[in-house]
Amino acid sequence: MSNETVNRIKGLVGEGNVVDSPSAMARYLKGQGRPLAVAMPGNTAEVAEIVKLANEEGLKIAVGGRVVESRGLDGGLALVMSRMNQVLEIDHANLTATVQPGLAHTEFSRILAEQNLVFPPEPNVPKTGSVGGCFALGEADSQAFQYMPVRTYLLGYEMVLPNGDILEVGNKCIKNVSGYDLIHFAVGSRGTLGIFTRLLVKLLPPPAVKMALVADFASLPKACQAMATLIRRRIFPTRLNLLNPALAAGIDPGSKGNLVMVDLTGFKNSTELLAEEIAGIFHLAGSSEVQAVKEAEGYAKLWQGWLDLRGELNTTWAERVIDFNVGPMKLAAALQALTEITGDLGAYPGLVAEGLLGRVRLLLPAAGEREEMAVKVNALAMSFGGNVSGNFGSKLVCRAYNDAEMWEGIESLLGQIRRQFDPKGILAPGVSL
Amino acid sequence: MTEKDVVERLEEIVGKKNVQADKIGLTSYGYDATLLSGVGMATVFPLSTEHVVKLVKLANEAGFTLIPRGAGTNLSGGTIPDGRCVTVNFSRMKKILDIDTENFVAVVEPGLVNFDLQAELEKKGFYYPPDPASYKATTLGGNLAECSGGPRCFKYGVTRDYILGLEVVLPDGKVIQTGGRNFNSEPGYDLTRILVGSEGTLALLTKIFLRILPLPAAKKTMLAIYNQVEDASQTVSDIVAAGIVPTTLEMMDNLLINTAEDATGAGLPRDAGALLIIEIDGHPEDMDEQVETIAGICKKARVREFKMARTAAEVDQLWLARRVVIGSVARRRPSYSLQDITVPRSMFPNMVSGILQIAKERNLEVGILAHAGDGNMHPLVLFDQRIEEEVERVHLAEKDICALALELGGTLSGEHGIGLLKKKYLTLEFSPVAMACFAKIKNSFDPRHLLNPGKIMNL
Repeated sequence: MSNETVNRIKGLVGEGNVVDSPSAMARYLKGQGRPLAVAMPGNTAEVAEIVKLANEEGLKIAVGGRVVESRGLDGGLALVMSRMNQVLEIDHANLTATVQPGLAHTEFSRILAEQNLVFPPEPNVPKTGSVGGCFALGEADSQAFQYMPVRTYLLGYEMVLPNGDILEVGNKCIKNVSGYDLIHFAVGSRGTLGIFTRLLVKLLPPPAVKMALVADFASLPKACQAMATLIRRRIFPTRLNLLNPALAAGIDPGSKGNLVMVDLTGFKNSTELLAEEIAGIFHLAGSSEVQAVKEAEGYAKLWQGWLDLRGELNTTWAERVIDFNVGPMKLAAALQALTEITGDLGAYPGLVAEGLLGRVRLLLPAAGEREEMAVKVNALAMSFGGNVSGNFGSKLVCRAYNDAEMWEGIESLLGQIRRQFDPKGILAPGVSL
Repeated sequence: MTEKDVVERLEEIVGKKNVQADKIGLTSYGYDATLLSGVGMATVFPLSTEHVVKLVKLANEAGFTLIPRGAGTNLSGGTIPDGRCVTVNFSRMKKILDIDTENFVAVVEPGLVNFDLQAELEKKGFYYPPDPASYKATTLGGNLAECSGGPRCFKYGVTRDYILGLEVVLPDGKVIQTGGRNFNSEPGYDLTRILVGSEGTLALLTKIFLRILPLPAAKKTMLAIYNQVEDASQTVSDIVAAGIVPTTLEMMDNLLINTAEDATGAGLPRDAGALLIIEIDGHPEDMDEQVETIAGICKKARVREFKMARTAAEVDQLWLARRVVIGSVARRRPSYSLQDITVPRSMFPNMVSGILQIAKERNLEVGILAHAGDGNMHPLVLFDQRIEEEVERVHLAEKDICALALELGGTLSGEHGIGLLKKKYLTLEFSPVAMACFAKIKNSFDPRHLLNPGKIMNL
């Protein structure tokens, strides 16, 4: 039976585009699940055919750009979108691009740079991330204060729904309120509502100048105070990220303490003035060294370091990361309070704070204690008006308020939506909402 | 349950003075900014989340539907009652619960008027970017339900981009919170986003977490006058290509320049083809460079007059024509129908000439007002409501305009919503698959179709 299924899939996408030996499949999979095969469809029609076949045979499907999460996929099918990796159109007049979902995120950025355009969202994982994956996860990255969350860059898409139907929505208009907003709702749905087969994204012209400042702070509270001073003075850089010493060493081997990384993009005059002002503030706040990084190569290397670190947090270390939000001006107090749970954060395995968003990512010493820690961290975040991110965080908030009814309301609504779109439960079996 | 019993139960929930069921009350809340109207059983003014929960439970028990309403300024027929329904008027739930400027969040009740929030924020040097033209009257709940835009959207985005979280009452009476005070707070799906622009058909809002921003340190306002619309349109494209993102790029065509001139006598040239108001904001030290670039672009596009305001009074002067323009068309004809299509920026000149062609074919006067940066256009179709045959032609022209926008790769609605008015055109824009997805969303939230039935689509 299963051989027959694999043969049918081979018939749909071509024999050379299906891999079914465990050793050959390994490079396309993460996690412990054991799918029947990995298939690489070449176009929308093939994706739709595969999904229809999956409906007939009750086959589960999970999708990835180059690597697929195999959790819950035993006996199912992994779809790797790497063959659907074309830029179909770049529209300079409307500042949009139409791309296939398997296009590598970094490759897309490179192509755009040649045409003097920018796609601002940070890749989730520089090495393997695709544009489709960027929207499937769809978070707010560390530039979101200025450039807005990832979802704001999606203008439309084509998607194969869990029943094999093909949905097309959106257009090149940034103002569009016709019907329910399926466009932005799909962002962050992690492959549960359908499989992206084409994306229409918004682009920007590049900023006139880009430069960075890197400041070394021996004291974490002082680094936080320095960031707070910027906000109080209404200085809002493109990025304002803080790393504790363990992670700082990976970006700047010469650093001794905590590193504050500032990204400035904009017009020339203001950017230069702001860089001077920020450097002054950091010195006054106790930074031992503030470096300005103005030349293109150094700038690119610095931020590549940040993106690589982010990639590690999202993959290798994902099971050890707790992600929570408090307001940007509450960071200093929240981190101070956090030391009561973690001990000295300077000596901790990892801490990243995105200063303008008030978001903290904590890298725990080991994966085992994550749930227990999340409960404590959530209680702390709640006392600062925030919570641990995602569904788990919402659940903890409801539990903390002893509001079983609210949790039931959220959970049943999420389940209802998922069932409406995917009644047979075919897509993304490893994703629990 | 009889209507009389329903009214009594409503009075038990919110108190007698918060229910209106007499003819005056029903008529007063039976219409909006369209020409449509209807009559329900009662209008009720909840004061708290708890009231809303009880109303929803009663509606389930007694089998009537609920029509949420803010200030009724919508242009889609989104608040028109029909049949066995009760209008839930949120205008008395209008408290500002929190303004946290340090963390860029305001928490408000849905009946708060946009302007009243802006006034409070301004005292602290902050603002809330979405600014629909009706902001002095519209409620934030209404703005959210329609996903309102406004002139500043080109740079700052629309309502959906400023909603961080919500507290809503679901159609089964359960209260949930979506999102929160920060980005990245959504549970599972981005429920906040599907609720924004859902036109009151999925849940009732009781609390809104908004993103607020500091007022920009500097602002410059410019006025450019052209012989032809194409030149104004070229200016818009070139400004964007130069990497400048103005907050505002407002355009008026020849007909509207003339009606505005009739009203103000400000000295606008009556033979001009188009007028563009350009506003930029940002760091003071960047303003001169950008103004210079923009002036150069306007010149290249054969601008015939270019002015930059040097004082606040001059800013007002430049905005005068734009501010009076909608009212000014009343000098021509007693009624107007305001359209809301959007096309990709590159299709802007085609859309303008297409609209003028439609006007000619249908023998109607049409003035064009546009948020030109984002391709959102508001053609004003002028007519006399008392001439039945002309009203027929207006409807035909509306349909032509919608069809043309879609043909040019645009959308039926940029910021006003679908409601009752554009429902009949929705299948022109969306495939049966997309329509089925809309139904899935509606049925997930509201399987009994209790909330604002018949709006956006029939189910």
